[in-house]
Amino acid sequence: MNPVIDYHALAPEIVLSVTIILCLLVDLFIPDRPRLVPQLASLGVLAAIIPVLTLAVSGTDVSMFGGAFVVDNYALAFDGLFLVVAYITLLVSFDEIADGDYYGGEYYVLLLTSVLGMVMMASSRDLVSIFIALETISIPTFVLAGWRKHDTKSNEAAIKYFLIGVLSSAVMLYGMSLIFGFANGTKLSVISEYSAGSPPALFAVAIFLTIVGFAFKVSAVPFHFWAPDTYEGAPLPVTAFLSVASKAAGFVALLTIIRFGFFNSSDSWQPLIWVLAAASMTFGNLAALRQTNIVRMLAYSSIAQGGFILVPLAVAGDVSGPSAWEAVLVYLMIYAAMNLGAFAVVMAVSRRTHSTEISSFAGLGRVDSVNAVMLSLFMFSLAGIPPLAGWFAKFVIFRAVFDAGTTAAVVLGVIAALNAVVAFFYYSNVVRRMWFDEAPEVVSSPRPASVALTLAIGITVVVVVVVGVYPEVFARLGQLAFASG
Amino acid sequence: MELNQFLILSAFIFAVGVYGVLARRNGVLVLMSVELMLNAVNLNLIAFSAFNQNINGQIFALFIIAVAAAEVGVGLAIILLIYRNLRSPDLDQVEQLKG
Amino acid sequence: MWGQQVVFWLLAIAMGAAAIGVVRSRDVVHSVLFLVVVLAGAAAQYILLAAEFVAWVQVLIYIGAVVVLFLFGVMLTRSPMGHDSNRLDNDQRWAAGVVALLIFGVLTALLVDAFGGQQINFGPELVAQGSPQAIGSDLFRTFIVPFEVVSMLLLAALVGAVVMARKD
Repeated sequence: MNPVIDYHALAPEIVLSVTIILCLLVDLFIPDRPRLVPQLASLGVLAAIIPVLTLAVSGTDVSMFGGAFVVDNYALAFDGLFLVVAYITLLVSFDEIADGDYYGGEYYVLLLTSVLGMVMMASSRDLVSIFIALETISIPTFVLAGWRKHDTKSNEAAIKYFLIGVLSSAVMLYGMSLIFGFANGTKLSVISEYSAGSPPALFAVAIFLTIVGFAFKVSAVPFHFWAPDTYEGAPLPVTAFLSVASKAAGFVALLTIIRFGFFNSSDSWQPLIWVLAAASMTFGNLAALRQTNIVRMLAYSSIAQGGFILVPLAVAGDVSGPSAWEAVLVYLMIYAAMNLGAFAVVMAVSRRTHSTEISSFAGLGRVDSVNAVMLSLFMFSLAGIPPLAGWFAKFVIFRAVFDAGTTAAVVLGVIAALNAVVAFFYYSNVVRRMWFDEAPEVVSSPRPASVALTLAIGITVVVVVVVGVYPEVFARLGQLAFASG
Repeated sequence: MELNQFLILSAFIFAVGVYGVLARRNGVLVLMSVELMLNAVNLNLIAFSAFNQNINGQIFALFIIAVAAAEVGVGLAIILLIYRNLRSPDLDQVEQLKG
Repeated sequence: MWGQQVVFWLLAIAMGAAAIGVVRSRDVVHSVLFLVVVLAGAAAQYILLAAEFVAWVQVLIYIGAVVVLFLFGVMLTRSPMGHDSNRLDNDQRWAAGVVALLIFGVLTALLVDAFGGQQINFGPELVAQGSPQAIGSDLFRTFIVPFEVVSMLLLAALVGAVVMARKD
């Protein structure tokens, strides 16, 4: 009766766990070589990608513990996304953490623990695993948001994020406890069977509470109010991580639980997701228009981008093929590249100007034309201008909307299209000021961007340009991930 | 015994917890209200576990207890840090940034 | 059955009153003590529901560890222990009360609709189910991955809490 454990399928999790413990030990016993821990951490993340690749090549789905933990193409695609995002986050963290008055080794331990939760999330197929994965992602990030300990803004970021995090977990868990009671099991397959019948009204409320819990995590309007303050107060690499990796993990949780668990009661979740999507896009964009700080602008823009990611989910019940699910994956991959890239450039520029106000980017085209070109590329990609990757992300979403073809889907598509136009204004505003405005007086003591930061910008810009020109790369990945489902 | 006895008691404690989260401004007290909500969840899980004769509910509750302990540890550390910087455990003292 | 009902109602009244005490008390330490009553009451309810192991974990971890943490939190942040309720509450008490009543009302109505009249069947299987042996074997057969990941999570929480709380 012993459980069958396939160590190959668990290898990414095991490699990450070993790396975390090694980082702690190295930090403790070799304190005079501060560069060692970050190197070890990035090596560990790269090593964890290897089993993801070998598993993808072997091509057999592994299902363990009675279907609670599944390693299939779907899980591997997201594993790969999370690990690459983690690697880029590490690259952009090196300078910031080494230069500031920060705890170094602990930062990487917490970051990797959060990544461990994400890798687990992609494979989780029951409520207990999803809950534990979500908490493993969140709890380290509560602390990371407050990493600038002596800055009250960072304190505020941490406490707001923490309270919203625990509150949303409690609401989500209340919903999950009711679902467990109805379905008589925690596995998503059991819940799926149950929801195929005719469940009572309380089941819909349970789904509602569960999704509201996730809506806090992905900062969907009206559960977004913590995000701008947390993003502005947290150290910049942490903000990049929160707005890309944590957010993506929240969407993966939502995608998994809807696709494998709630799918049959689409009357309960489709309207809710529809409202969240429409509100997030509209409110996020309108608020982003007013911002004068680029980090806050990117925070509201990421709320709006989150709304776009919710669009295919809101119509998923009416799409017969897998195009809605593919759209979520493809959009997340492209969004990760362009948003991380934008944050990396902001970090590189703010090392010189010591400011994240949009006014400090004025005239960047003349002072630092390379970074200005990069930021322009990321901004235009976020706005969805061809031939940059962002247009393909918007394209897959509208394709899912057309595949659904219902009135609700078309209305949502129109709202999304209008929002894409609004978004163009604030993204292009940054670009306009960089190239056409006079540069302000430059503050002294510039710190040059390091190799790691440049590498991060390089990787993301290559993705944004190559995928924009050859979208088949990601499209094929999306098809593979959902081939069997 | 009726299943609903336990579930309605749990709903009551959950609602009281929501009240506490909304009405309290002291960080420690908000955290305690969240604990009330988590206990309501656990009571639900144990009641369903008995009703369905399914042990997974008890295991879910054990995981929630473990995670709640971690959350409280981290949360109190953050509240303590804020107290050191601002000399106050009140959450509205932290409101510096505006939406 | 009759005895169980009496115990349930005594516990339920104590828990409900203490829960209100947690959120309405004007003294933070009293709130912590009311929380102990709720937690202990919940542990007793678990025993009533034959979940013996979870009940003892509740006592050890919640009452033994979490409550002590809360008391340390109260002590270290010098939370007010006087009788000045305005310092503990914000000005949205009425709105919060309405929201809470609404949640309770809606949940109760829906619970009655979904589970009205259904009885819990207390048999020997139920008692066997709550034993540490049964829980242990299921925990390590089905939930081994979350179990191991929780240990990493607790490690990270420990590291994070030390970094945050440390004076430097």
